[in-house]
Amino acid sequence: MEPLRQLAKDKLSGKRVYAVMSAKGGVGKSVISSLLALTIGNTTLIDLDIHTMAIPKLFGLEGKLHEVTKNGIEPFEVKTTKIVSLSGIVKDNYVILPGENQSSIMESLIAYSHIDSNTVLFDLSPGLGDEILVLERITDFTPIVVTTPSKISKRVVDYLIRYLRERGKEPKILVNLAYMDCDGKVVKPFGEYEGFGLPIDPNLEDYIGRIQDYEGIVKEKLKEFVQKL
Amino acid sequence: MHEWSVADAVIRTVLNWADDKKIKVKKVVLGVPSFSFLDVEILKEAFDMMKKDSVLDEAELEVRFKDPKFKCKNCGKEFSLNDVKDQIDSVRSEFGEEYPMHFMPALAPSFIKCPYCGSHDIVLESQDMTIDEIQVEENGTVKTVSQG
Repeated sequence: MEPLRQLAKDKLSGKRVYAVMSAKGGVGKSVISSLLALTIGNTTLIDLDIHTMAIPKLFGLEGKLHEVTKNGIEPFEVKTTKIVSLSGIVKDNYVILPGENQSSIMESLIAYSHIDSNTVLFDLSPGLGDEILVLERITDFTPIVVTTPSKISKRVVDYLIRYLRERGKEPKILVNLAYMDCDGKVVKPFGEYEGFGLPIDPNLEDYIGRIQDYEGIVKEKLKEFVQKL
Repeated sequence: MHEWSVADAVIRTVLNWADDKKIKVKKVVLGVPSFSFLDVEILKEAFDMMKKDSVLDEAELEVRFKDPKFKCKNCGKEFSLNDVKDQIDSVRSEFGEEYPMHFMPALAPSFIKCPYCGSHDIVLESQDMTIDEIQVEENGTVKTVSQG
């Protein structure tokens, strides 16, 4: 019997759950997860990438510890987004764990968090690993798969899409860095792609550490995407 | 706070297990890793408050601390909690009472190094909380169910 898993299930019961994932690393999952959570509003964003813990870095929350109350781990609140990350437990310590411990940590993070929003969005680490299996055990989530238009990215991400379809889930596909908008003319430097394309915005880099202040073209496009969810 | 989450989880798990069976749960034995340093009194208080009006109404909670054994996968040596006490103390002094392993015993390999070779590649036995036994009364007969 596994009390933690039961508690994690209960925490997500009746909520809209999205999982932002990709089989490929470095395609912009965490940036997109953050912007999606900010766009949807009143959302709990849970950082399941327990090794890199990029979400707090994007929001400027590095080194901050979660407050713990009788309700559990209290998320950091940024605008209407509530953020939970293992970095709020381990501070700036690195996390290195044998495989069998990783899923237990992810379950604990969900089970102990105080989740009071109707929407929960998970940012997953790259690959087909424990985090997908953990989520499958505890909730019926909607997968949002992030890729870039590069050939290698598309081929690698195809594993994940095939897996999800086999499991009866139809992923929403977001293509990051898909095109440039040059004064109304759309240029696709990496060629054609399938899925919902997001533009390249070099200004986004200036918002690392304060992503909550970004209101540029990528977020504008994500608003369209969110309406279709 | 942690103790209340644990009590809640234990009750929900047993209720799920009991389903609609016509039983009364008399006792629940919970195995807990010793370095999670749960406050047993608070845990029992939380359990007693939350069990009301269910098949657990008369249930007693027994907590058994499991002293973990560690094995280093890098050098192969085995060691006990006592061998790494100074490391655990230093984590507690950095974070205070609500330190990471208190919440999540599975984080231990990240904070504990093998005292022989310094590797983090260590395995713990009995790191998870487990419901080890449930004593139930069914048709007037008391029996103990062991859980895997």
